[in-house]
Amino acid sequence: MEDKVIFGKREVISLLLLFICNQLILGFPSIMSNSAGTAGWIMTIYVSIIALCLFLIISKLYSAFEGKDLLDIGEFVGGNIGRIIVGLIVVIDIAFIISIKLREYAEHIKIISFTQSPIDFLVLFFALGMIISVYFGIEPLARSAAIFIPFIAIGIIIIVAGSIQNFELSNIMPILGTGSYDIFVGGLPRVSIYSGLISILFIPPFMGDIKNIKRIGILVITISGTVLTLGILAYLLVFPYPTSSNTALPFFELSRVLEYGRFFQRIESIFLLIWSLTGLIYLSCGLFIIVYVFSKAFKLKYYRPLILPVAIILSTLSLIPKSLIEIMYIDNRIIRYYSWIVTFGMTLVLLTIARLMKRKRGGITKNGK
Amino acid sequence: MANFKKLIKDIFAFKEPKPQEEFILKEKESEKIDDVSNKNEKSPVKEKKGFIRSLFTRSSNDEKDSGSSDKKNNKLEKMVYVSKDITENIDYLKKRFSIPTNGDIVLREFDILVKDKTISACLIFYDGMVNGMLINLNILQPLMLLSNLDIKDKGTENKNISEYIHKNLVTHNQVKVSREFDEIIDEINFGGCGVFVDGIDIAYACDVKGWQHRSVDRPNNEIVIRGPQESFNEVLRVNTALIRKILKDEDLVAESVSIGERSKTPCSMLYIKDIANDSLVNEVRRRLENIKTDYIFDTGELEQYIEDNTIMPTPQIIATERPDRVASMLTEGKVAVIMSGSPFALVMPTTNNDFLQSAEDAYVRFPYANLLRVMRVIAIFMSLLLPGLYVAITNFHHEMIPTDLLFAIEASRERVPFPSVVEIIIMEFAFELIREAGLRVPSPIGPTLGIIGALILGQAAVAANIVSPILIIVVAVTGIGSFAIPNFSLGFSFRILRFVYVFLAAIAGFLGITFGLFVQSIYLCNAKSFGVPFMAPFGPKTNSGYEDQFFRAPIWKQENRPDFLNTKDTKKQPKISRQWAKSDKKRGK
Repeated sequence: MEDKVIFGKREVISLLLLFICNQLILGFPSIMSNSAGTAGWIMTIYVSIIALCLFLIISKLYSAFEGKDLLDIGEFVGGNIGRIIVGLIVVIDIAFIISIKLREYAEHIKIISFTQSPIDFLVLFFALGMIISVYFGIEPLARSAAIFIPFIAIGIIIIVAGSIQNFELSNIMPILGTGSYDIFVGGLPRVSIYSGLISILFIPPFMGDIKNIKRIGILVITISGTVLTLGILAYLLVFPYPTSSNTALPFFELSRVLEYGRFFQRIESIFLLIWSLTGLIYLSCGLFIIVYVFSKAFKLKYYRPLILPVAIILSTLSLIPKSLIEIMYIDNRIIRYYSWIVTFGMTLVLLTIARLMKRKRGGITKNGK
Repeated sequence: MANFKKLIKDIFAFKEPKPQEEFILKEKESEKIDDVSNKNEKSPVKEKKGFIRSLFTRSSNDEKDSGSSDKKNNKLEKMVYVSKDITENIDYLKKRFSIPTNGDIVLREFDILVKDKTISACLIFYDGMVNGMLINLNILQPLMLLSNLDIKDKGTENKNISEYIHKNLVTHNQVKVSREFDEIIDEINFGGCGVFVDGIDIAYACDVKGWQHRSVDRPNNEIVIRGPQESFNEVLRVNTALIRKILKDEDLVAESVSIGERSKTPCSMLYIKDIANDSLVNEVRRRLENIKTDYIFDTGELEQYIEDNTIMPTPQIIATERPDRVASMLTEGKVAVIMSGSPFALVMPTTNNDFLQSAEDAYVRFPYANLLRVMRVIAIFMSLLLPGLYVAITNFHHEMIPTDLLFAIEASRERVPFPSVVEIIIMEFAFELIREAGLRVPSPIGPTLGIIGALILGQAAVAANIVSPILIIVVAVTGIGSFAIPNFSLGFSFRILRFVYVFLAAIAGFLGITFGLFVQSIYLCNAKSFGVPFMAPFGPKTNSGYEDQFFRAPIWKQENRPDFLNTKDTKKQPKISRQWAKSDKKRGK
């Protein structure tokens, strides 16, 4: 039933963009400012280029397996066990990220305008949205993402463009921030901000005729790289260095300085719509990948029965950290540091082995002939 | 208790989804015309049934059989074919039409003189449903008086009586000859006149419909300033003729389908055969033919029988009373269904954008149409979200209101004892009540209702400090917004959803509203109308056909038909439709 679902290029790109760019409205700008000072935007460009290079290698290796997803490749390498191991690694990785992000979104919403609501109530709202949307499958989710993305983009453009009047060029001086070592060597693990790219390797079975994930990947990395760079640049131009690395809600702070005339002084609540919408789409997409990968790894016929338990597990996990500070620490020090291991590390290793095995098998058959 | 257990089990336990045949409008290349008949569909399912289930089905079949046999015993023995003996036919007709209990049926017996023989005959019709003059002049007169005329045709000698009557005597344009009783009786039920003649085992059904009906009138609900001012009435053939009059295309096919086992309501399925996708036409036909009910009265009922999703608040089929609108949608490649007795035509498949358009959009100039459309979208958002936003802002997001306005709102709310949710629900309820009462009230009392509504809900409620004046403005603007929605059904769906948004806003402010919008968009993106995604061409995005969707391009730019309809002919007009502009330029050169 699920295999019939097919969606177009635009839907895929919208989903992936939301999957990567959503961090702009979370802690990302202050994380970047934290690690490279005023040069956070240079680091974003640098990391995007590295992600692009890594993706090009991945897509080159992947080209022999067109139309297959990471689990099929895992099966090709190590049979059923290979598939299950790859599946479990991906599930654990994404479940960890999604549960942290779920809490982060809820905490942000709480700070923005629900200061008196208990956090589990807000988590419940997101979890409910995730459950309902995943119940309908990925197709409506991808279509909704494609419909909503222009509105989200307009919101972000309004924030960035509106803050131009507060730009202070001296805020991004010195250009190289805390130093080139911090940017180019210390910044390497920050390629983890593109950890969402792993989902592109699960999309091919849904893509129908469009098999060229290379073009989609390049487009997504370029657009999201540009969006993230511009976003962080605007943020760094408005807030001076020590302040910029300490804010919990960097992009929200940016939206708070917006002023359009006397009447519209506090329009940041409007952005709450964009915040929660992005969060809902991102988290639902994450939940879908978890249940989809899990069901495919264990060859389950239906993924729907998994939705409720997985959503409950995710929201329970998200409530474990004690405070926003702990969440921010996990996001900054663990997710943004080590999630590249699964996205790029595991994928590269797996694809290399698969490629070698394919060549070997191909060689045997050739000799056999 | 058992029901409660089942309910709990249904909610929490996983049920394997039932295999459901889902219709998807496929691309032209892979198009398969599969006109699946009901029998073929059912048979494989039957085979799959287990032993226990088969026992059940057999028993239920037995029940049905026994039930039907009981019915048969009560009813008169059915005559399938027309008898040669006219007395037998008359007796049967009398029983079947409950003569003489039935007051409006007329059974007229008379004699015909054919080839120097006197043959007894009878005709039967419903008084009031037929045109009496037609029967007198074109049926009775030739049969009774003119039958002994010397018809100058040598061939007549060889003809048998039945053929002679049909070919030479009944001077009427639409005559159906049949051996089957049911066929003749169906015609009589629908304003025909049955003619039975002794000695022949066939009967004639002449189409002499002549009942009273409303004439073609101005549209009542879809009013336009520019454009034709005709609307459908309750007569099927008048309605099909109205569309044909506009389209003047022999490729426009009006297939007849009858729905309702007892009512046998005639319907017409219209499509342009070299534009509409075959599989779409087949699907509409399949759904229409597979409706099993006894009576059906209006396209409002038919819509509920053939729509994809019953629970979804948004309608999935457009109902219109304007022939020009149906015609324009037919040219896009859609299929329309008209039903006898209903002044509304159904057009399918429908996408979200169709509901936001009015007939006038095409007739007014490009900038005006777009202004209207933008206004309409704003109206929709107002009618859907404004009360919710009011509740969200007053309860959760005070900071986003400019200080002066906040003071104004708070000052007006100071003496109101209710929380804003209760306040708005009271007012919305009152507004819905006025709207409903306004529709149902006899027209002489109408003005009273206006006074009560305006006085009590407007002034008195504010004066009594039950609601705040700002809230009256919110409710009024919401009401006006809902009146600007061009489709009546869609307006209904927003009226329902508005309360959901008020509720969501009350529990979680903007987060609740966003949650609602997200779930609604997921639901809409998941919906399909006759195999076409409801949110097409935006979700999923299609290649072409954007010229007349959210905004309208200038008319010369509307070159393609919507891509999601997968029409046979995708082009509406050439790239340059205003050829004069091209030739003028050339001339200039």
